[in-house]
Amino acid sequence: MAEVEINAVSKAFGKAQAVSGLSLTVGDGEFVALLGPTGAGKTTALRLIAGLERPDCGSIRIDGRDVTGDAPADRDVAFVFQQYSLYPHLTVFENMAFALRAPTRRVPEADIRAKVQEVARLLHIESKLHNKATQLSGGQMQRVAIGRALVRSPSIYLMDEPLSSLDAKLRGELRLELKRIQVDLGATILYVTHDQTEAMTMASRIGVIEAGRLMQIGSPREIYENPVNAHVAARLGQPTINLLPAALFAGVPAGVETIGARTEHLTIGRGGGDVSATVKRVEHLGDQSHLHLDLGGRPVVTLADPEAGLGAGDEVSLRLNKPLFFDAKGWRVAA
Amino acid sequence: MRSGLPFETTGICRIVDDPGARSVDAMNELSASSRITYRAVMVRPGVARRIRGLSDRTLAWLFITPTIVLLLAINIFPLLWTIYLSFTNYRANRANVPTIWLGADWYQSILTDPDIWAAMQVTAHFVIWTVVIETVIGFGLAFLIDKKFRGHGMWTTIILLPMMLSPAVVGNFWTFLYQPQIGLFNYVVAFFTGRDASSFQMLGDVRLSPWAIVIVDAWMWTPYVMLICLAGLRSIPDYIYEAAEVDRASKWRQFWSITLPMALPFIMLAVLFRGIENFKMFDMVNLLTGGGPGSTTEVASITLKRAAFESWRTGYSSAFAIILFVTVFGLANIYVKALNKVKSR
Repeated sequence: MAEVEINAVSKAFGKAQAVSGLSLTVGDGEFVALLGPTGAGKTTALRLIAGLERPDCGSIRIDGRDVTGDAPADRDVAFVFQQYSLYPHLTVFENMAFALRAPTRRVPEADIRAKVQEVARLLHIESKLHNKATQLSGGQMQRVAIGRALVRSPSIYLMDEPLSSLDAKLRGELRLELKRIQVDLGATILYVTHDQTEAMTMASRIGVIEAGRLMQIGSPREIYENPVNAHVAARLGQPTINLLPAALFAGVPAGVETIGARTEHLTIGRGGGDVSATVKRVEHLGDQSHLHLDLGGRPVVTLADPEAGLGAGDEVSLRLNKPLFFDAKGWRVAA
Repeated sequence: MRSGLPFETTGICRIVDDPGARSVDAMNELSASSRITYRAVMVRPGVARRIRGLSDRTLAWLFITPTIVLLLAINIFPLLWTIYLSFTNYRANRANVPTIWLGADWYQSILTDPDIWAAMQVTAHFVIWTVVIETVIGFGLAFLIDKKFRGHGMWTTIILLPMMLSPAVVGNFWTFLYQPQIGLFNYVVAFFTGRDASSFQMLGDVRLSPWAIVIVDAWMWTPYVMLICLAGLRSIPDYIYEAAEVDRASKWRQFWSITLPMALPFIMLAVLFRGIENFKMFDMVNLLTGGGPGSTTEVASITLKRAAFESWRTGYSSAFAIILFVTVFGLANIYVKALNKVKSR
């Protein structure tokens, strides 16, 4: 395991700028998640570190060594691909042993066997070791893909949305397993995802990427509580933050154009708040309810206690409780 | 009307999908406007049935009958007729002579005839060497073309040209190329080896002529093998190579453990096609050497043609044809079994 440092890296494909001026340090043993929407340049960032793409400018250092021009094989990285990328003509065992069988490595056969067995046990695929890679279910294939990376002890594990193609239940399970494995091994992981839950639950730090730029990086708590701009604020939080025009409220600081109100920033009452809104719809989720409100023609979504007994058509009052303020360009304004 | 179109499509889909189970739900859920369309769709197959009085099965048979009749007339009947003739003394040029049943006499005399075995050896030499050369060079070319260098499309077209020519054209054309005095082939060989161009005859020499036909066939059909191999190579997704790259596999190892195993079913298919085709080779060899000099290039089908249409021994040649058919059919079957095994690996 080692520290990975990316310095002002840019990459364009033709006219499309995939990554611009990305700087990022992943500390030894750290789990960093890159969070962003589709096409934000997350995968490109990962491929640049792996050496599958060459940066147009900037440098990449792994364990203090400049690897910017090195081939993937010389970088000592492991990559988990989104589309599994298993070798279809090989068995699960052969797939996982493939990297250990590199002629330059000269790992004894017994060690390979032991290592693959160990990782297979970790991922609960021991019984599938002699199956063809193509005879597995999606979840099993993904485990093999992760296992293929885990048999190695690289400087860094690069994971490209490894759980995105799994169903919700399996995703939840593997999320826990992956975090446990990372803690056990003390592995350095750079993890790309568009799923905020994955980022929030697994990462020690989250980097939010938007249009090829790193918007903000910090602990999940920091990103959630202290977003630098409206983009970052909209990335985290369920339901999504409500971005409302400042004009709707009185007593807003100067220069504030937009008010970001998460569900915890809104106190719902039966009167006596800052503004009043109409209930459009209530979605009961069991332990809580999604409340869809109409605030002067603007939709507002927040959470409500199912016990509150609200229904469509009800008038409620809203009081802002230390919301986030953004200026005309979407940047944060101190309260 | 235009707005009704998507509903109509859904209606058809529902019927094809599961006519019974969904129709009730569908009826309840569809809006008033689409319900009309839905009913119209429901009616259609019933109308067809009533008017024409034909079930789907009858209709299906009606459509394939012409093909089946044609197949029986020009494939199955001649095959059965040939099998029958192979047990008789029938001669096509003396149709009036009474036909006598000979049993397996022809088979016995063919299988013990050293000339036939010589022809089989010539065929084997031709088939094995053409397939080996075409596969090696064809795969090599496909591997290079697959590198997608600048102008690879143009090179693909140029390489494919020989394959598009008629074998008759190729036969004539190479007869000229092989001319000892004015032929380009002899000139090129002379240029590179320094020996006299008219000192050797590709088609007239008993040692060289078996190779002369191998060279022409390889020239003509290597592109075909290349095309199939190229399809195989293109079917290997890039991300497999990326995974191997990250797994620190050298280019050499990537070739042996990814490229070759994954393209193998395609290569084997090309070998099968070329093997069968060359086992039956007639036209090109007939034009180039006519089986000569002596009988050094007399492949099985030339022997067959001579027996059938020069000696007019119809019964005898029928028996030989059946032997060839069974041989190629049997070999191909064994091979296809192996191919399927490789594919399901």
